[in-house]
Amino acid sequence: MKFKTLNLPGRLAALLLALLPLAARGAGQLNLFGWSEYVPQPVLEGFTRETGIKVNFETYSSNEEMLAKLVAGGGRYDLVQPSDYTAEAMIRRKLLQPLDRARLAGLGNLAPEFTGRAHDPEGRYTVPYMSGSVGIVVNTEKVKTPVRGYREVFQAAHRDRIVVVNDSRELVSWALYALGQPVNTVDAASLARVRPLLAEWIKLVKVFDSDSPKTALLNGDVDLGVVWSGEAALLWRENRKFQYILPAEGAHQFVDVLAIPAGARNVAEAHRFIDYILRPEVSRQISAAFPYTNPNLAARRLLTPDELANPASYPQGGKLESFRDIGRAAADIDRLVTDLKSAK
Amino acid sequence: MTPEPVARDPGARPGTLAWLLLAPLLAWLALFVVVPALLLLGCSLGERDEFGQVLWGFSLENYARLLDPVYLRIFLRSLGFAALTTGLCLLIGYPVAYHLARAAPRVRELLLLLVMVPFWTSFLVRTYAWMAILREEGLLNALVAWLQPAWAPLGLLYTPAAVVTGLVYSYLPFLILPVYASVEKLDGALIEAAHDLGAGPWRVFPTVILPLTLPGIAAGVTLVFVPAVAMFAVTDLLGGARVPLIGNVIQNQFLQARDWPFGAALGVALLGLFLVSQLVLRALRPRGALRG
Repeated sequence: MKFKTLNLPGRLAALLLALLPLAARGAGQLNLFGWSEYVPQPVLEGFTRETGIKVNFETYSSNEEMLAKLVAGGGRYDLVQPSDYTAEAMIRRKLLQPLDRARLAGLGNLAPEFTGRAHDPEGRYTVPYMSGSVGIVVNTEKVKTPVRGYREVFQAAHRDRIVVVNDSRELVSWALYALGQPVNTVDAASLARVRPLLAEWIKLVKVFDSDSPKTALLNGDVDLGVVWSGEAALLWRENRKFQYILPAEGAHQFVDVLAIPAGARNVAEAHRFIDYILRPEVSRQISAAFPYTNPNLAARRLLTPDELANPASYPQGGKLESFRDIGRAAADIDRLVTDLKSAK
Repeated sequence: MTPEPVARDPGARPGTLAWLLLAPLLAWLALFVVVPALLLLGCSLGERDEFGQVLWGFSLENYARLLDPVYLRIFLRSLGFAALTTGLCLLIGYPVAYHLARAAPRVRELLLLLVMVPFWTSFLVRTYAWMAILREEGLLNALVAWLQPAWAPLGLLYTPAAVVTGLVYSYLPFLILPVYASVEKLDGALIEAAHDLGAGPWRVFPTVILPLTLPGIAAGVTLVFVPAVAMFAVTDLLGGARVPLIGNVIQNQFLQARDWPFGAALGVALLGLFLVSQLVLRALRPRGALRG
């Protein structure tokens, strides 16, 4: 064996060389905790190729799930991807750490309407990743009557033909909109008012799915739904019969952000990842895979006219509104939805 | 005459060596069963704060909430689904296990292998495969449309029937294997003796075969029933998450509602239910069969 011919210093050097990757791995890794169906694999691979930083990617399918695991798991995550209203609660709870904006050269690429929003007015903790809305998608080959708002989705004629995201706050907000109630000041009285309406609606739904609500529509198991705009955009790309409609009563606009948890260990790597995402050509890849609304103006310039024309990615008009942190009422909302679903 | 069994003094205490040998198992049980169960119990007496963190305390509010008819109905529905699943598994699995055990050794090995083969792929992948079979433009509906176009498409996916199908499919091997083990030990001479004494097959089965394979049935039923009550993945994927069973509600409390104390209370209630059902099962089991 060749190894035997090495003298002692040579052997030590070989040993060091063998251990080097271990040391490098310890320093150069990033524990990313993000939404499922939201971060394209090529983006992660491109980041690792360029920086040598290994990305450990774990996914969740609701803000609540992310919070539960983050609070339980301590410093296991270096970068999370909450929605704006959840980020707001996390900032209030000191679960996020301030960003070093000097390390984020690409911040200037962001459209002004996506920065300085209510959840983080000075942009100290969060950087927008993608934005979107929650709206109605209709298979126009199957549904011939016009559908403009929530009440026209949830009607007896559509029993067992509806898919909705499995998210309690979303469900309740649709009923609040339909009743002309504010969605960001939720209390026992407003929940009592939506209860009978929501009870009727929930009975009509065939599938609750937050991960991939497009699947049931694509497979023909349901004909209409209330889903994330990115899912609707993918459906439209697949077949123009799937139309996206912003509900007339009002719709939720979300901005999902990148943020670094207070207990993160690989803070430098997290900053590098955020800055990587801010690059136009990288952000462009995200739009190609998950066609939500891209808050990165420089990246938007790289999109094809076809991508920009997708009505679910870049809807025209509509009454859009952000969610705000509603504190304890979130638990009451979930209790209401659990009760109503169980009562079926 | 069977030889006299070795007499055991019921009052004898295990020696040091026995305790040493038992130690790993006891440590395992203490660490991974007793401690978590106590944590669960402690958590169930707490409250959640505004942000979903557990506030430890002593409150029975979560247990009071369990008595809400909504949750009682979910418990009953879960028990119903699990009972139906267990019943179907028994109906399908028992004859399969019986013939497996009585088959020629070579055939038996092959058939046993076939029972195990599904375990080689992930349970989730197999459940997704069922979605591909059951969905509206799926394999089964394509077959129906070809045979009898007037019936197609059948709405199969996202129904309670799809959930039960998925559950029976998942748990069938857990019934077949213990029943198989018990049929294999069955003494053929006893059946022959019954025949010699004039009993027909309809008499032999309930009076000889069934009692002798009861331990296998009991083990199989437990192995199917207990996990079936708490299953949540199949109900989410094949049932469209719209008919919640107790497993879904518990999962939701931990991940969606982030109400761990209530989730823990549901878990404790489920644990209590199993404990009671095991005690009942034990009391009902005929004395003789226990030692089988």
